[in-house]
Amino acid sequence: MRPMPRTDPMRIFDRRLLRLRRDRAAATVGRVAPVLDAAAALLLDRLDDTTRRFSRALDIGGRGAVAPLLRARGIPLVVSMDLSPRMAARAGGLAVAGDEEWLPFAPESFDLVVASLSLHWVNDLPGALVQIRRCLRPDGLFLASLPGFGALQPLREALAAAESTLRGGVSPRISPFPELADLAGLLQRAGFALPVADREVLPLRYRTPMALLRDLQAAGEGNAVLARDPRIPPRALLPMALGHLEGAGEEGLAMPLPLLVMTGWAPHESQSRPARPGSADRRLAEALGTVERGAGEGTGRPRSGGSA
Amino acid sequence: MEQTKSGHPAPPPGGEVDPALLEILVCPLTKGPLRYDRARGELVSERAGLAYPIRDGIPIMLPDEARKLD
Repeated sequence: MRPMPRTDPMRIFDRRLLRLRRDRAAATVGRVAPVLDAAAALLLDRLDDTTRRFSRALDIGGRGAVAPLLRARGIPLVVSMDLSPRMAARAGGLAVAGDEEWLPFAPESFDLVVASLSLHWVNDLPGALVQIRRCLRPDGLFLASLPGFGALQPLREALAAAESTLRGGVSPRISPFPELADLAGLLQRAGFALPVADREVLPLRYRTPMALLRDLQAAGEGNAVLARDPRIPPRALLPMALGHLEGAGEEGLAMPLPLLVMTGWAPHESQSRPARPGSADRRLAEALGTVERGAGEGTGRPRSGGSA
Repeated sequence: MEQTKSGHPAPPPGGEVDPALLEILVCPLTKGPLRYDRARGELVSERAGLAYPIRDGIPIMLPDEARKLD
């Protein structure tokens, strides 16, 4: 059994609690299907940017939103992995219960790996990315979206304000989210070629703050931060925080979801990359149809004016 | 081997696992090979000394759900 001390600074999330949350949410996740479907569609649109055909796909944490779209694109083998066996069973692919931090797949098992809104509870994201790259065949594609920095920010602020009023201190009630600049570097460090990270926004609006909280719960997205305050929150906390949010507007509560989209390819010799310096076997001047001259020599062209 | 009336082998405990999965699954800890123990409905990693259960046809590849081998 792997040790999971609460004091390890590298462990931010309680994976066991997360599994229980997702197990429980398997029955209710259908309620948030529109949000998950929209996020999955936005992510899989990226497949239209490539002419590459895929035949073996891994869906990580897709919760029923991703695998059916992959199948609809004609991909014959789709495997759905989830930390929760129950969630995996309803995801739509061949079900496997597995942990992103301990991927159970042989090298080069897939040519496409998709993780739609599912890597934000991973403690060791660099380690998970390396494992994902290894289970891809050369020239295989990794496509992922995470809630970005700023996600649930109004809720985070409302909870913090209420808690500091009631308890004179603030505990983390919402997961930390990564920033865009972190991700491209992470992909590169994990050995992906042509890494790209960019940002999209899923416009979401809730009729009431309570509807937002119910959606988060239905999706299994309750707080799984290890450093969360284990005490039962003061009874007044939620009403007070929601009160802060009610004032937010009459057309409902705007809660846009910033999505960080990552794409990276498993390295392959066919991909463009810079050549080694000095490895050229043709002169640039030859290709340009011009005459090569040493540095400091004139171009032989008139400096100004003069035309024929 | 145990036979049902139709002559087919009895379904293994934990249910059938898709052969396509058996081809690609490895031990999540050692990344080493797994032996499918059909009779017990387990995927055995000798190197890790763990047997991963299969429930409702779903391989449970979680180290803390695995059975320790003696």
